[in-house]
Amino acid sequence: MLITRRVFLKNGALALVATTAIPSFLTRTVWGVETGGSRRKRLVVLFQRGAADGLNIVVPHGEAAYYAMRPSIAIPRPNRGQESAIDLDGFFGLHPSLASFKPLWEQKHLAIVHAAGSPDSTRSHFDAQDYMESGTPGVKSTEDGWLNRAVRKPEPDASPFRAISMGGTLPRALAGTAPAVAIGNINEFGVGGRGPAAAPLSNTFEAMYSQSVDTVLHGTGRETFEAVKMLKAADPARYTPARGASYPRGRFGESLRQLAQLIKADLGVEVAFADIGGWDQHVNEGAVQGQLANVLREFSQSIAAFWTDLGDLGEDTVLVTMSEFGRTARENGNRGTDHGHANVMFVVGGPVRGGRVYGRWPGLDQSQLYEGRDLALTTDFRRVLGEGVSRHLGNKDLTTVFPGFENDPRRFLRLLG
Amino acid sequence: MKVSMPFLWGSGMRRKPKHLALAMVLCVGLAASVLVNAKKKPTPGLGQQKRALHALNRLTFGPRPGEVERVAALGVDKWIEQQLRPEKIDDHAVEARLAGFTTLKMDTKTMIEKFPPPPVVKQVAEGKKSMPRDPKERAIYESQVDAYRDRQERKQAKGDQDPNSPNASDANAEQRAGLGEARMEADAKAEELLDLPPEERFQQILKMSPEERRMLARGLKQEDRQRVMQEFTPQQRETVMAMVSPQLVITTELQQAKLLRAAYSERQLQEVMTDFWFNHFNVFMGKGPDRYLLTAYERDVIRSHTLGKFKDLLEAAAKSPAMLFYLDNWLSVGAHSDVAQGRPAQRAYRRVYRGPFGVPVYRPPRQPNPNAQQKKNKREGLNENYARELMELHTLGVNGGYTQRDVTEVAKVFTGWTIKRPRQGGGFEFNQRLHEPGPKYVLGKVIKEHGEKEGEQVLDMLAKSPKTAHFVSYKLAQRFVSDDPPPALVDRMAATFLKKDGDIREVLRTLFQSPEFWSPDAYRAKVKTPLEFVVSAVRASGVDVENAMPLVQNLNRMGMPLYGAQPPTGYSMKAETWVNSAALLSRMNFALALGTGRMRGVSFDADRILPGGKVPQDRAGALAALETSLLAGDVSKNTHDTILKQMDDPQITGMRADDAARPPNLGVLAGLLMGSPEFQRR
Repeated sequence: MLITRRVFLKNGALALVATTAIPSFLTRTVWGVETGGSRRKRLVVLFQRGAADGLNIVVPHGEAAYYAMRPSIAIPRPNRGQESAIDLDGFFGLHPSLASFKPLWEQKHLAIVHAAGSPDSTRSHFDAQDYMESGTPGVKSTEDGWLNRAVRKPEPDASPFRAISMGGTLPRALAGTAPAVAIGNINEFGVGGRGPAAAPLSNTFEAMYSQSVDTVLHGTGRETFEAVKMLKAADPARYTPARGASYPRGRFGESLRQLAQLIKADLGVEVAFADIGGWDQHVNEGAVQGQLANVLREFSQSIAAFWTDLGDLGEDTVLVTMSEFGRTARENGNRGTDHGHANVMFVVGGPVRGGRVYGRWPGLDQSQLYEGRDLALTTDFRRVLGEGVSRHLGNKDLTTVFPGFENDPRRFLRLLG
Repeated sequence: MKVSMPFLWGSGMRRKPKHLALAMVLCVGLAASVLVNAKKKPTPGLGQQKRALHALNRLTFGPRPGEVERVAALGVDKWIEQQLRPEKIDDHAVEARLAGFTTLKMDTKTMIEKFPPPPVVKQVAEGKKSMPRDPKERAIYESQVDAYRDRQERKQAKGDQDPNSPNASDANAEQRAGLGEARMEADAKAEELLDLPPEERFQQILKMSPEERRMLARGLKQEDRQRVMQEFTPQQRETVMAMVSPQLVITTELQQAKLLRAAYSERQLQEVMTDFWFNHFNVFMGKGPDRYLLTAYERDVIRSHTLGKFKDLLEAAAKSPAMLFYLDNWLSVGAHSDVAQGRPAQRAYRRVYRGPFGVPVYRPPRQPNPNAQQKKNKREGLNENYARELMELHTLGVNGGYTQRDVTEVAKVFTGWTIKRPRQGGGFEFNQRLHEPGPKYVLGKVIKEHGEKEGEQVLDMLAKSPKTAHFVSYKLAQRFVSDDPPPALVDRMAATFLKKDGDIREVLRTLFQSPEFWSPDAYRAKVKTPLEFVVSAVRASGVDVENAMPLVQNLNRMGMPLYGAQPPTGYSMKAETWVNSAALLSRMNFALALGTGRMRGVSFDADRILPGGKVPQDRAGALAALETSLLAGDVSKNTHDTILKQMDDPQITGMRADDAARPPNLGVLAGLLMGSPEFQRR
């Protein structure tokens, strides 16, 4: 497998000579593969936009208060088959739509952090997402995103795919000075189609943008065309999903499928971002079945397929999920839930010490709720991400990644082995 | 939201109006005069020509060929005054283009009757509602009922089957084989149909059995779908499309109309402001019945209030079924209301309320003191969604100084603001029985118990708040001036807002007369959003759009589906959101496709936009002429030189090396220019 890829990269690079010089990053990649290189660590961040209902995702079935507060939407206690929570440790259970997470849990590749999230009290989707992506809750003036700062350590001739977003727009988390690329669809990532005029047209646009005095467009233009050329040479479409990796239909599954292709094509992905919407269920949220169940199925099956698809490459991959805030502990008058506070995060990967629910559980009694209505927060999301950035990616400069947050490694949850 | 290609998707929805071509010729003549000035360096401050270009870039969806000169000749200030009075601008050309979209003028009630949504289809299928008599409507209903039954059967079959059994794949194979058969049958049927003149062809489709129509729909290939509907009247097309998907007729007409208005309306500022206010009071088309509610929402709530008093716009939005549904307020019930407490009604009333298209809302209990089981089945209680977004997004802004307590209190105020007979497309209704009794405390003020008036009082309070004046002014300045608008300008606009009782026209006048608006810093300071980019390219290139659907689909690809912003924040107006690799590539590809005529339903004719309709024979001359038409001649030397150099490449220009005299391929050049860095800004 590696040999064919190496040969292909060489040939691909040669094919490029016809139109343009071999970009330095491409020769470096080829060289890196040939000399064995160092194993590249990857961090994948998945954002559940719209405030996922953490209490119905990882269910505290050992809490009587949970059932009292959610008469019509609670997930029944385990041992009732598909109609109940999947028990994890006698206290917490997975929503039954997360069945595909169970094997990962048992193999200890899946860890859960409950009552986690952003400490800011806002219940505005917009602000809360902004804070979680800037990595500075409560501070609006932060211009760049934490994931961009996480890869800021300069690396000459870095791959343009070092920081990527799967989707048509670049998320706030990846905004900043480190080059980052947004990819809507890898099959459409190029200019001028497939005809003979494509290369000269692409070159013309490249020249226009690379020499433009328009700083905003100039930077993005340069990154774009580097990425286009490299993608063309690596041809990730050759990497079809591995046996047993069955991605559900939909944008999210497709994002992860294509991300796996980019990783398998050895394009130098270091941090990646994707998101999934549909969590803001104020009305008819459903319980074992229903709206939340449907989106959870898409969510978990996509992640499970991605994990299967990566195979051995999963050893160097850590995937983290988050959402801007949780939802009210009580259901509202419309069998839904309103905006709340703390939430649940999933951490999947090779180095993950899984099969455990991390974080202190604050309880759901009235006196234990945040502002009398929401799950209280016991783990700052930056604690979880900081551990990933520092111990997995190897970027120890956490005061830059999460300014204003004390992130002493001694206080990490030790999620990663 | 993704719009998939439906069966029998039309190419030409209307006929081309003749006067448009005429207008185009007039513009072209005027454009000739700029050519001389094209290469002049920009002077400090904006000259008359540049003022006109700047004003067009900001108050419209982009200048059309020759328009800069026309506005400069009229006087920029005078033209702005005209745009501020849209009702006095004749707009029959665009109305003629939209004449075929009959749903645009319908009320929601008529729409539901003519284009039945799923719950109505279900009622008819179950015999609870009768079929319409009109043969065209009947054909739509029959097709939908047939499709509904087909789905039910398949669901049944799927339920009976163990998905893990080996037979499951057999069933799939069977289904695939069935599809192949359907395709062959459909091909034969289509050939028969295509031999008929349009009217007979349409009658033939009406006469088919629903099953035959379904087969045809499933089996037909893309290009045949177009052919079957060739030369149909707009109404005939609507009928045929509605047989496949009634709601798609409604949503795609609305989407196409938005693009066509943006491209061709003479009331450009009104359309810009319609887009602005829709985004400000965003409602997501993909949320259930909102598909059926947005047409009226945009027409009656947004467009008709674009330049009036903010308070009127706010109240219209608050009372619109679209917003009441989108932000869930129609479901909000006060905890101590009659309904929640199970107090019987004074008069007889319907015991079971049903939401839009049949969703049950709540059940008042039989007894005043319900037991726990009954309580579980009730749907009663406060929903904070609208209250929060009203303050955060519609009025005060996120830093507007309100608390969670204020959100809850405002939610109580608006209990009872609901939708009357939603299944039949009814409008706003205040229902006292849902309303939370007692006084409320909002932003430090007591709101005395006063039913519907409480909500009106709160809206009035919010509309008059200096925070609102500031927030709305800031957003307007961000749309018209720069991503980070000068604070002094925002303050002056906010002062006008407060002084003139939220008169939007006056606030805009303050904006348009400000030095900040005319500052050289503001010139081309805004990166176009995908919508602005697509429409500005359509306008600049003078193309005739016969079918706007390909443009609609391009916007999906660029991450800005029309009416498809799911969160209540709407779309960002800032550059950082829209400048990224995927988006830039989409723009370049779009520009090339538009220029080279590869965009279905859109035809580009370079001759039409060139001064005097003449194509210069030399390369530099041709390029300069296009630069004048597409970018008012303001193109960087780098862009100009790069394109000029590439014109040596025969693959780009379509020239052969041995035929230097052959004129250059203007479409490719236009595509390159529209994909250039300069064209991404306004």
